[in-house]
Amino acid sequence: MMKDMENKMKRRWGMAIDLDKCTGCGECAVSCAQENNLPIFEDDSDIPKKMTYLDVMRITNDRDAKFPDVKVAFIPKMCQQCEGNDPKNPQPPCVSVCPVVATDTGDDGVVSQIWSRCIGCRYCQVSCPYEARVFNWWKPKYEGSFKKSLNPDVSIASRGTIQKCTFCSHIWKKERDKAVMKGELDINAVLYTPACVSACPTGAMVFGDLNDPKSEVSRLARDNRAFRLVHTIDQKKPDEQKKFRAIKNFPNPKVYYLSSKQWIRDLMRFK
Amino acid sequence: MKKIDRKDFLKIAGGAIAGSAVGTVFSGAPFISLQWLVEWTQDQHVPSSGLEKYLKGVCEICPNKCSISVRMIGERAVKVETSNSGCPFGQTSLQMLYHPDRITTPLKNTGSKGRAKFTPVTWDEAIKDISSKINGIIKSGKNDRIASINKERNLSSELLDRMVNSIGSNHSYYEPTLDTLTAGAVGGMLDYNFDDADFILSFGARLLEGWGDSASISKSFSRWKERKVKFIQVDSVCTRTASAADEWVPIKPGTEIFVALGIANHLIKKKGMGSGAADFGAWSAIAGEYTPEAASRLTGVPAKKIEELADALSRAKSPVAVAGKGGKAISSSSAEIIAVYGLNTIVKSRSVTTKQNVNFAGAAPIQTAAKFLAESKKCAGFDEFVKTKNFDMLIVNGADPVYKSVYGKELAAKLEKSFVVAIMPLVNDTAAYADYVLPSITSFESKTAAGDPVVKPVDGAIHAGDAVLRIAKMVEGLQQSFQWKSYTDLIALTGKTAGAAGFSFKGDILKKQLADLKKALGDANYSLSLVPIEAPVVGDGDGLAFPYAMKVLGSETFSSGKLYVQINRETAKKHGICNNESLKIITEKGKVGSVKALLTDSVSPDTVAVPMGFGHKFYTRYAEDKGVNPREIMNDKIDPLTGTASWLVTRVKLS
Ligand code: SF4
Ligand code: SF4
Ligand code: SF4
Repeated sequence: MMKDMENKMKRRWGMAIDLDKCTGCGECAVSCAQENNLPIFEDDSDIPKKMTYLDVMRITNDRDAKFPDVKVAFIPKMCQQCEGNDPKNPQPPCVSVCPVVATDTGDDGVVSQIWSRCIGCRYCQVSCPYEARVFNWWKPKYEGSFKKSLNPDVSIASRGTIQKCTFCSHIWKKERDKAVMKGELDINAVLYTPACVSACPTGAMVFGDLNDPKSEVSRLARDNRAFRLVHTIDQKKPDEQKKFRAIKNFPNPKVYYLSSKQWIRDLMRFK
Repeated sequence: MKKIDRKDFLKIAGGAIAGSAVGTVFSGAPFISLQWLVEWTQDQHVPSSGLEKYLKGVCEICPNKCSISVRMIGERAVKVETSNSGCPFGQTSLQMLYHPDRITTPLKNTGSKGRAKFTPVTWDEAIKDISSKINGIIKSGKNDRIASINKERNLSSELLDRMVNSIGSNHSYYEPTLDTLTAGAVGGMLDYNFDDADFILSFGARLLEGWGDSASISKSFSRWKERKVKFIQVDSVCTRTASAADEWVPIKPGTEIFVALGIANHLIKKKGMGSGAADFGAWSAIAGEYTPEAASRLTGVPAKKIEELADALSRAKSPVAVAGKGGKAISSSSAEIIAVYGLNTIVKSRSVTTKQNVNFAGAAPIQTAAKFLAESKKCAGFDEFVKTKNFDMLIVNGADPVYKSVYGKELAAKLEKSFVVAIMPLVNDTAAYADYVLPSITSFESKTAAGDPVVKPVDGAIHAGDAVLRIAKMVEGLQQSFQWKSYTDLIALTGKTAGAAGFSFKGDILKKQLADLKKALGDANYSLSLVPIEAPVVGDGDGLAFPYAMKVLGSETFSSGKLYVQINRETAKKHGICNNESLKIITEKGKVGSVKALLTDSVSPDTVAVPMGFGHKFYTRYAEDKGVNPREIMNDKIDPLTGTASWLVTRVKLS
């Protein structure tokens, strides 16, 4: 009984991104970089080695379609905050492989990453199906006065560690601290907005509590335009899903995408 | 459940947002202190903490001047909060503010020009030397050989215009923008009421890529989606805008104008519509030749589609046909702007109006000025000025015409022989030719209509308006027109607009430009068309100095030091080009390269889509030596009404 109460109190942060509204402008990625002290290199064009949490992916159907029927769209992709099959005992693919518990799931469902604990084995990077984890091949650099705009709430990583999106959970901590300072006792009542979401100029991104059925993000997650990135189990019938869940470890992301375009949904299926 | 929402802290509306908190950390404290220990032992920089507050500011990156809030930690600005109503360019403004390559003292050229070799001097020294140069030019009776070029209209540009004009020169110019081009073509800047529009037909105007008033268009776009307003993009490349539109109407490169004429033809002939504007008769006689079928042959758009677009335009209550091709950088022929704007007048749209800029009055020209002002004629645009005129002095206010104009090379040659003053925060390709570079302040360092600066201006830099004032005060005879102590006295006086009138269809321009266009498109020696595109955040090149722009670039644009150009698969096959192949792009003017080929059917056949904004020679360590600048080889034919080269489509071949 007590446990149930606790479970109810806790947040389960999730995101919904409306691809019909996303213009691929990249403001979310810049905002994320600024908020999270991402390193600044003179030539950051080696894309697989570039430290960025949020990748605005350009996708097209031009393998299946020809001019003029080809379509293009943009998918902002960050850590999908997977929870595995059991929300009560979240097991994202990347967590169990970490030998030093540098990555873990919090009671708000957010998959944390503590760079200073990371020993750089990159097991988690390999096991993440969404390529959401990036390795610091070089010591993060912030030339001269760029240091002035660093955020004190996010620690700076060392070379040889993995970093990734944490749903800006430091903002939540900060907001809770503020609420406590004002005499608020129930810290779980505090809501917050990650940096990418508050920047998006078209309001394509929505963030909130998936445990709260009335929240906008919950509503959008149930929308019939909603899907998740290449998540095959979503296409199966309910009883089949049940069977699969019992035997297989699905990532089960908490980031939902919405699109009215059939070709994007088609791309999300393995053929 | 109870909710306490951070959004309340960030709300910009409603005055001060100085919520403050003490930097004590409750949750996660053990981890954070552990991290600090590790960082200390690994010699990592630890950002200093301080009192947190949110200050209200104005983003001055573009004329739109969005309200933003800036998160401060002590004296440091650490985050721009736009609350979903800014734009990506504004999000980089902290990288401008704290750029390590910012100039912090006036610089004087040493050695040969064009190499950006400078030595620091004091403000007094620089201003004294510059003003005595101006006084010398006036004394020798060459007042109209002083010219200026501004990046865009703002307080300092109005002051600079005033100074140059008061000296007796008409040659105060602006880099081509949507506003300057439409003002040249239709006699006023166009004001679109996007919010209330119920049908949007854009002719290559990349509305979601920095075009016009970027932040408010993003908002309107989001509302179009909610209200299910139809938004159709006519373009030869499936750009970001075309991909986000409800429909992309692909066309042969450079043929937007024929689509517009086909639509006009259908509206006039089949729907009996017309316009009362001047010269409509002559114009519609020409449009009469472009039946939907004829337009279809030229554009590749099915005739039925053209009729459909015309019907939709005439059916809508508040339709908007949008002119001005491009994103941050705009290039359209005046005939094209007129044709597209003309559609609005034909369907009697109330959503598009014209207006014009009015500079603040009261300037008294110096004694010798009247003669020059009467005799020397202002060119229609800066490209025309560079091509046809010589000058002894050019004052550059934030602009970068050596990089951005297709006449960059010609301009550089003229700059080598003249006295050049550059007022800007970062040395760019144009400043490399300057005799003096005067450091100006950026967005959050200046006082605005909204209030005080958010951060203290960087040591040594002053407001560009103050730099102009300081010069003007030392020009003999100008003091009377420049009595203000500081730019702050002018905030309320500048930025005024008024209604514009007198739109004419200018049939003769249409006739001439259609003939030229058809000739260019038929050029068999150069069988492909270069169509510039813009990468997110980089835009037309200004964004590349801000390294977080690189975080956004995907492998379709710039990867491992190589710029990618997009080519249609069939076209590539015809020319024997494979994916990832290194290429050079050749035009009548020369060649650029190498670039890499990315084969994709998201561009029209015979089109080479080339990202702009790359290939700077001098523009901070982050933008230099990355990719190529296609403007070097683009079409340099000058449009008589805008005085600007119509570079957006250039015939090329590949090797
Ligand atoms: S997206 Fe990758 S890093 Fe994020 S939780 Fe899932 S497996 Fe882990
Ligand atoms: S939630 Fe925060 S860390 Fe994650 S992508 Fe958005 S801004 Fe970056
Ligand atoms: S800021 Fe919004 S519109 Fe821009 S790329 Fe990100 S999600 Fe898309």
